[in-house]
Amino acid sequence: MTEFHPNALCFGHEFPASGAPCLVHVEDHGLTIAFAHDTAESRSEAVSFSDLTVSAGGQDHDQLVLKWTGPQGERTLYLKNPDVIRTFRQAAPDHLTAPLERAAERVRQVRHRRRMVWSAVGGIVLAFVLGLWFGADLLVELAVARIPVEWEQKLGESAYKDFLAQQDIVKEGIARSAVEEITHRLTAQIPNNPYKFEVTVVKSDVVNAFALPGGYIVVFTGLMKKADSGEEVAGVMGHELNHVLQRHGLERIVKQLGLVAVVSIVLGDQQGLVGLAKQLGVELLTLKFGREQETEADLTGLQLLYRAKIDPSGMISFFQRLSEKDEGRMEWLSTHPMSQGRADRLKAELAAMPKLSPAPFTFEWAKVRESLGASLLTGK
Amino acid sequence: MKSEILYPGAFPMVRVELAAGEHIKAESGAMVASSPTVDIESKMEGGFLGALSRKLLTGEKFFFQTLRASRGPGEVLLAPTVPGEIVIMELDGVNEYLVQKDGFLAGAESVSIESKMQSLSRGLMGGEGFFILRISGKGTLILNSFGAIHKIELKPDQEYIVDNSHLVAWSATTSYNIEKAASGWVASFTSGEGFVCRFRGPGVVYIQSRNPGSFGNWIRQFIPVSE
Repeated sequence: MTEFHPNALCFGHEFPASGAPCLVHVEDHGLTIAFAHDTAESRSEAVSFSDLTVSAGGQDHDQLVLKWTGPQGERTLYLKNPDVIRTFRQAAPDHLTAPLERAAERVRQVRHRRRMVWSAVGGIVLAFVLGLWFGADLLVELAVARIPVEWEQKLGESAYKDFLAQQDIVKEGIARSAVEEITHRLTAQIPNNPYKFEVTVVKSDVVNAFALPGGYIVVFTGLMKKADSGEEVAGVMGHELNHVLQRHGLERIVKQLGLVAVVSIVLGDQQGLVGLAKQLGVELLTLKFGREQETEADLTGLQLLYRAKIDPSGMISFFQRLSEKDEGRMEWLSTHPMSQGRADRLKAELAAMPKLSPAPFTFEWAKVRESLGASLLTGK
Repeated sequence: MKSEILYPGAFPMVRVELAAGEHIKAESGAMVASSPTVDIESKMEGGFLGALSRKLLTGEKFFFQTLRASRGPGEVLLAPTVPGEIVIMELDGVNEYLVQKDGFLAGAESVSIESKMQSLSRGLMGGEGFFILRISGKGTLILNSFGAIHKIELKPDQEYIVDNSHLVAWSATTSYNIEKAASGWVASFTSGEGFVCRFRGPGVVYIQSRNPGSFGNWIRQFIPVSE
């Protein structure tokens, strides 16, 4: 005996609630419905077209529902096999054409409405994303403006302490006092300064310096050894101080968090939001600033140097020198990508300023470098 | 393939006996123990994108595991993550079930599983998310629930109302609408039910006796907060 391949589900009072699988044949006069022969006798029923009523049903209203009352009572047949439905529509007499058309229309309507709704939703989401993309900077600025300096300081402080805990700090000596003098010269020129700047010199060959939100600045001895003068270090610090003053770090964090938060919400992943808070400390240390933020920090840094009567040409030459040499661990460049355009922009800006009579630092830079080299040698 | 539920009740397991060469698809991580003749392969049902969309959109595990009795007949023990009952169903090739994302435990290789997008209103308010699993084909399908599983049988045009977070699986011949639990919006939410689904037969609806979301909220108050 051939295997039974049902193509429809039949419902009736003696059948299970999930329906009895059955094999529907469309014939000239109507349908024959054969049921699985789990009992010895094979059963089949016949119904003529004239007894049928048709409609659409099922989860997506995409199944053809046939109802009739036969000798065995009320019967409901669910057809979803497209071939059977097609054959049925071709064979059905005229009086079923209108209801069949209505059922088909219903399916089309449901599909159409669903497509419309989803395209509308897609459109709204797209508009929202585009709006966020282009309006993000404005939103970020608004959000950052609402964050109090104390929060910013707490945020920066914890990352600062975590970072310094694993570092070899230069606690005293001429190098430290030189950096302190530079910091003091610069910060004295900041009007209405809400930050209490804290600068630490870290013993490391890495050519880098960075600023954390809240006014925490780290300068590596590697950077100081690369510099030919105190003015050059002052240039880098002026730039870093301005990242803090312009709250660039916060802007980046808000932007990154915002993006991840939106994605997490969209994908329904609350775990991601929890993880975000923990990520924060790590993010702070690996922050990269945007091109516009770099330019802003360059220009305001330049102005700060000018007000502090520190020769700004040191800043420009140092930046250029750092970008030319592709040696060692120039970390500062990886987070502050240098371009000829940036240097040119600074030169043009400087040329437009009135001539400056710089006031020299009290330290001798050659001695500072010497002390660093010596201390590093003894340290190793 | 023969399957049997061990320890019926809150902490059941399923024993599946596989003939040589036979295999079964299971939710990743569902295997508890197996004969040494059974190999575990992880498989991305529906290809990488299909698996990725299932992971992202239904929250279902990224991979299914395939347990194959490649070196002779053997048996596998499977268990769900949450306490609750297991139900074994035989799909006959025409019956099709829609299953809420956490409801699938295992299925014969001939059972096909696909993600299906719901309509907007069902997705937003139905409590199962926008994507559910559509399971069809022929063979054994094993579902699990949170709490006990209860089967509601609906005759043609018979209606029944189910709190949406208690849904496990329902046959494709049923249809449902999302409704407010009470006549007013405020009463709907203060009654603690929010939205309910009005199912219309024919077909069967499997529901679970516990609501995972509510259980999560209840248990949250006992979790110590660090700091």
